[in-house]
Amino acid sequence: MSAVAEAISSGRLPGRMWMYSNYHCNLACSYCLTESAPDAAKRRLGGDRMLSLAREAAALGFREVGVTGGEPFLEPDMPETLVGLAEIMPVVVLTNGTLFTGRRLERMAPLGERDVRVQISLDSSDPVANDTMRGPDNFRKVVDAIPRLIDLGVKVRIASTLEYVDETDLSELCALHRDLGVPDDDHIVRPIVRRGRAVDNDMGMSAAAGDLPPELTITADGAFWSAFGPTVHGGRLDTDLLVTRTIAPLRIPAAAMLRLVQDQPASVNGDTEFI
Amino acid sequence: MSRVAMIEKPQAPLLARRFFERGDPGPIVTALAHVPELLETTAPFLGSIYGPSHLSPRLKEIVVLRTSGLLGCHYCIETHTVVALDSGLSREETLALRNEATIEGRFTDERELALLAWVDCVALGPGCPDEKMVSELKARFSDAEVVEITMVCAATVMLNRFCTTLALPTSPATLARLSEEGLS
Repeated sequence: MSAVAEAISSGRLPGRMWMYSNYHCNLACSYCLTESAPDAAKRRLGGDRMLSLAREAAALGFREVGVTGGEPFLEPDMPETLVGLAEIMPVVVLTNGTLFTGRRLERMAPLGERDVRVQISLDSSDPVANDTMRGPDNFRKVVDAIPRLIDLGVKVRIASTLEYVDETDLSELCALHRDLGVPDDDHIVRPIVRRGRAVDNDMGMSAAAGDLPPELTITADGAFWSAFGPTVHGGRLDTDLLVTRTIAPLRIPAAAMLRLVQDQPASVNGDTEFI
Repeated sequence: MSRVAMIEKPQAPLLARRFFERGDPGPIVTALAHVPELLETTAPFLGSIYGPSHLSPRLKEIVVLRTSGLLGCHYCIETHTVVALDSGLSREETLALRNEATIEGRFTDERELALLAWVDCVALGPGCPDEKMVSELKARFSDAEVVEITMVCAATVMLNRFCTTLALPTSPATLARLSEEGLS
């Protein structure tokens, strides 16, 4: 058993590895960790490299891969990349859910037969409140896309990123996701993390390395401690949660991650689900 | 002004944090912190090169300051002028090592002259030292010392290129000391 597999089995390292497929996005959300926007530098990993990294991750002992960005589905080959990743490990992909129309929606159909969960952001049952955070017409596009994806057999989760949890708002949001066909088990509520654009908008909770699950996260800029690591503020990449600049071969950042995890108490694997 | 941003403590990568625990680690570390896996290996390497060893501090600083003077690295010249003074070299000797005065008349010890000839050859290259230079050095230094002298010189060439290319800034404390000594 590899050192990574042993660390995962013992609970010192989560079994999921993240990849930032790209940094650009068709939205510019007010709390975005990476200051993503249509004109943000793309910093793509590329489908072939993602597949190669996932193969090495599986060989090292990782059990699941997460894909995030930016908006992953701005990458032209993302549905096919996800199919390829799912042949290696279970996959979760985070998306804003606004791009699933026409041909792009049709190309999602093969994911219904694979171990791929598509996690879509939806922050409020109130279109105005939701769109204030996420951009014009976001609510309409998301509530339109979710049932269409479910009809294709795609496994959909909804993630709500909330500054404050208001019980009334939350119960209305839960009623909405159930109406859309997403059960309670597939709805997660997560806090805003005070990094990236959230800093400028005075939002969210601070999170240091010890507060975040040590999920190895690979980007075009390097390997990070967590999917909350490769944030951007003022146009500059944050390096406080950088592990290594080297991303391939994956054993290099994985070994560095193991050394860091050995210095951490096992409890950092986290009670809070940030993702 | 340096050609890369200096990583400050709040942005220190996880593997680099220990280098920031005792205050400002200096520009070589704060530049290398951009690539923590390089810092992790380079910092101890430089520590073993420039830290205490069986080569005396005076001889080591002759190697470092002479190399830096020949290669014209401002950061290394300024920083190691102070180290050289603290290692017992005179103001006149440092001026010669900085390539601002002649060696002749300032260094007379045959052992140090053989060392300086060797350093000039290694630092300026290209090619190997001739047999006369080799025999002059080996008559006065052990093989272990020859290896260390050559490694200190070669590592300083590397560091000279790094610091000069990135225009790393000399610390205010070092600049103040040089001013006091009239060696700015």
